[in-house]
Amino acid sequence: MQQSAETKDIKIIAFGIIAEKIGGRELVCNGISDTGALRQWLANKYPGLNGLKFSIAVNRKLVHENCTFDNESEIALLPPFSGG
Amino acid sequence: MSHKPKNIFVSGAVSPALIADSIQKHSTKTDIGGHSIFLGQVRADEKNGGMVQAIEYTAYEEMAVQKAFEIREEIFVKYQLTCLHIHHSLGEVKAGEVCLFVFTSSPHRKAAIDACAELVERIKNELPIWGREIISAEKYEWKENK
Repeated sequence: MQQSAETKDIKIIAFGIIAEKIGGRELVCNGISDTGALRQWLANKYPGLNGLKFSIAVNRKLVHENCTFDNESEIALLPPFSGG
Repeated sequence: MSHKPKNIFVSGAVSPALIADSIQKHSTKTDIGGHSIFLGQVRADEKNGGMVQAIEYTAYEEMAVQKAFEIREEIFVKYQLTCLHIHHSLGEVKAGEVCLFVFTSSPHRKAAIDACAELVERIKNELPIWGREIISAEKYEWKENK
């Protein structure tokens, strides 16, 4: 039987200071299907993120409003860019 | 002009040899009348606890390459360019070494100069790349773009 989207693990990749604060480049969440809920979940689970700015990319595109995703999506946490 | 995303990353510093070689390659493109080159160099800023020795770059490579491609396409629409090249470092680049090389060429100078300036700004603002400023073996700071 197929799992529903709500119970499938979703892989998240993190970069820069955000990866440092969560203790790695990858994490897994479950039962979350939009970026607003993801931010809430991260804030509860990783108090070290408190006060840090970061954007969320879904499938390699920055999202500026609440955006839904599933376990096939590529989710990334991106602190302010500092290339160059 | 290629229409597929091209890797922009080089491991470590952008070498003067790569820059010289890139300039040399354009001698066959005789419709070019002007080049504009921007070189970003790692600055030994003074920080609380010492000087910046190096910057260690990491990137969300797949997204950065895709975004660089989109920017490239937009710049080609906006300016009359013959060609455009972007090289950005990944990994450690020591103070005094080059970490970004942007190269634009056009039949007449203004397009190359304006496109190069706009590209540098867009690269710094829009590509998911992060620099960690290494001050000593124990101390570092995450770089912030001004």
